[in-house]
Amino acid sequence: MVKVDYEFRKKIMDAHIIDTLKYCYQCNRCTDVCPIATIAPNRYNPRSLILNSFLGLKSAIFENEDNFFIWGCTVCDTCDEVCPQKIELTEVFTVLKNMSIAEGKGPEYYTTQATAIYESGKAIPSQPAIERRREQMSLPQIEPPNVEEVQKILNQTKLNTIINK
Amino acid sequence: MAKAESEYKLFQGCTIGNRIPFIEVSSRKVFDKLGIKTSEGPFACCPDPVGFNAVDHTSWLAMAARNLTIAEQEGKDIVSLCNGCFQTLKAVNHELKHNEHEKEKINDILKTVKREFKGSISVKHFVEVLYDVGIDKIKEHVKNDFSGLKVACHTGCHYNRPSEIMQTDDPMKPKKLRELVAAVGATPVDYEEEMLCCGAGVGNAEEAPSMQVLANKFNSALDAGAEIFVVVCPACFQQMDTNQKKAGEQSNNEFKIPILYLTELFALAFGENPDDLGLKFHRSRLTSFLEKFGFK
Ligand code: SF4
Ligand code: SF4
Repeated sequence: MVKVDYEFRKKIMDAHIIDTLKYCYQCNRCTDVCPIATIAPNRYNPRSLILNSFLGLKSAIFENEDNFFIWGCTVCDTCDEVCPQKIELTEVFTVLKNMSIAEGKGPEYYTTQATAIYESGKAIPSQPAIERRREQMSLPQIEPPNVEEVQKILNQTKLNTIINK
Repeated sequence: MAKAESEYKLFQGCTIGNRIPFIEVSSRKVFDKLGIKTSEGPFACCPDPVGFNAVDHTSWLAMAARNLTIAEQEGKDIVSLCNGCFQTLKAVNHELKHNEHEKEKINDILKTVKREFKGSISVKHFVEVLYDVGIDKIKEHVKNDFSGLKVACHTGCHYNRPSEIMQTDDPMKPKKLRELVAAVGATPVDYEEEMLCCGAGVGNAEEAPSMQVLANKFNSALDAGAEIFVVVCPACFQQMDTNQKKAGEQSNNEFKIPILYLTELFALAFGENPDDLGLKFHRSRLTSFLEKFGFK
């Protein structure tokens, strides 16, 4: 049986401050322009993601075995641009992705990158070889970020627990 | 609006700074030539609008806000060399300026490191900054004309979308990059998939669809007669420059397309030597393109 998850529904509505989600009339413009729905129509569909999110059908989204259903989005923001109802689809998708990560279901890339940012302040930490190359090309040294500050902030937002640090 | 004399905080981002710094070389040379002043800052990751935001939205807001406060302390606007950093910093700046509730929440977090987001500066993409210098002024510096060169312009997604916030250019028909490319004599071609994503984002989850999107993009530009791509984002640059073989295998093609950063095209036009720009670090060979235009 299809079950409405009210807690989930509230999260979606809360994130979507302008509350326009209910105006989606399933016109399919978002899916028509989506480059991923175009090449993988059976695996990714922004229109149905919006519908299921609005209806609170968490299981329809999260119990899909193929996590490409959520993570297929290449974040080109084209759907946001063409939606006649001005629904900010990618903001909703960010909520879904955050939930997927919290449940430990996201692609590895994402938590690996977040760990690098937590540990070094940068998604791509500096390396001696690149530092030498910078010097050879007469580029100034990159001022290192204050990692202690970064970690204080990210402990406060509980990122450390999300990525198990 | 920042004046030509004023100084920007340069935000090169993790990819350019710590992986492909040769892009920073051409950017700095072009800025110098055009009198655009910049200085460094102890910035952390922007952070990545595709990666980090998908992990935890609040952490993304707080980290971006922290970077913004660094520029605010000096009262200087930020110029970004990267679409991703640009989108993050500009979108978060906009969000916190317009949403009091969100601003309070983030400032509460920043309090632990004695910082406060004020919303007193602006964030710019380097394409906007070059465009604001003026096409005529840019033309004055051109020593090597690229007449006859057919270019596929690729602005990338986060340069101008979501347009309500970014306001950089027309969201689905951007013109600034085209005009800048034309300023050095080259001809931007019209191609069907000009607005198509490079496919880097989906590549974080799965490679095959990412390569398919890239191949579609390449084929469309080649069909229209393009000889090179000009890009303005390091993520697009890496996707296009390093994955030509894979995109070819995915689609039964063989791609050998030079990918240039806009600042590289400009630096060459302004008379810089390819060796000084680190062009040898490109994966997709530039030799025949450079020879055609008389560079050795
Ligand atoms: S384009 Fe907008 S209104 Fe149309 S289906 Fe997509 S989200 Fe709904
Ligand atoms: S942002 Fe995601 S869902 Fe929207 S069009 Fe692009 S790939 Fe499709």
